[in-house]
Amino acid sequence: MGRVITVTSGKGGVGKTTTTANLGTALAMRGARVAVVDADIGLRNLDVVMGLENRIVYDLVDVVEGRARLRQALIKDKRLPELCLLPAAQTRDKDAVNAQQMIDLTNQLRNEFDFVLIDSPAGIEAGFRNAIAGADEVIIVTTPEVSAVRDADRIVGLVEAAEKGPPSLVINRIKPRLVSRGEMLSVEDVLELLAIALLGIVPEDETIVIATNRGEAAVYDPSSLAGRAYINIAQRLAGEDVPVMAIPDQQGMLDRLLGLFRRRRT
Amino acid sequence: MSFLNGLFGRKRDSSAELAKQRLLTVLIDDRYKLTPEMMAQMKADLAEVLKRYLPAIDPDQIEVTLSRGEAHDLLKADVPLRRAADSQQHR
Repeated sequence: MGRVITVTSGKGGVGKTTTTANLGTALAMRGARVAVVDADIGLRNLDVVMGLENRIVYDLVDVVEGRARLRQALIKDKRLPELCLLPAAQTRDKDAVNAQQMIDLTNQLRNEFDFVLIDSPAGIEAGFRNAIAGADEVIIVTTPEVSAVRDADRIVGLVEAAEKGPPSLVINRIKPRLVSRGEMLSVEDVLELLAIALLGIVPEDETIVIATNRGEAAVYDPSSLAGRAYINIAQRLAGEDVPVMAIPDQQGMLDRLLGLFRRRRT
Repeated sequence: MSFLNGLFGRKRDSSAELAKQRLLTVLIDDRYKLTPEMMAQMKADLAEVLKRYLPAIDPDQIEVTLSRGEAHDLLKADVPLRRAADSQQHR
């Protein structure tokens, strides 16, 4: 029986879809059977982020309404045969599915996959509630900004009220130089505010922009900071006993001193 | 200057510290619908009830705080009592 894990955030634009795509890919690269599900009905995006937009025939709503069997709607990844996408419907709205249908769908999926990752829509309305309805675990993505952290806290409350167990946290788009200058909330600050367990951290990285442009996950480039970060999170999600990745401060004290040294030599 | 902050802890007026303090207030307000005014009123009501049983209470000394924890949040009231010698006269 596979694990059903919903990736959600409250606030939009913090990296839910990027996180779902990268964790799904990283888990499949480890050899797990993974299904990623786009639950953002009407605002389909996981397909383009993963570069699978040209292959869609049926979608989640087609499956729920019986027009297609699950196997027909699942799209195989270009590189990883054990990775599948169930796309959202683009021309329907959030009311096209209900919570019970999502529970039935996830129960079907967990029979065939080790991990079922659900990309939740932003917000706290029906779309979000449907996305967590069938989940065993919830991952909350936030960035170190007041609006994102505030919305994340609302989601923590709602997830606890839905008796999903304590959610875990991914802090995305950390800028180490800003943190060290005291101008961005640190990982410790965010953890103190939200008081939930830390699953992992992802530094701000231009690789994400480029990888998304290409429709490839950043984890295919393990030399990139974000790629490494998502691999680390996937390891922890899979139960490996590895510490949260340390973000190298790109201009730490050592760099500053080396910088001085270099300037003198030239 | 920034590396000094790193070495000696964060300056109180850094924007991150400001963000954290603002968020603490906002999150407690969001979660419990408890504004600073309501907090003050709760403290006054608490003092009134406690004084019925413990005359040795000084209402001005009561401190009520809300803090956040992993399993649950905590409402904590510190209620200092005047020593018994002072409270004898109330009997």
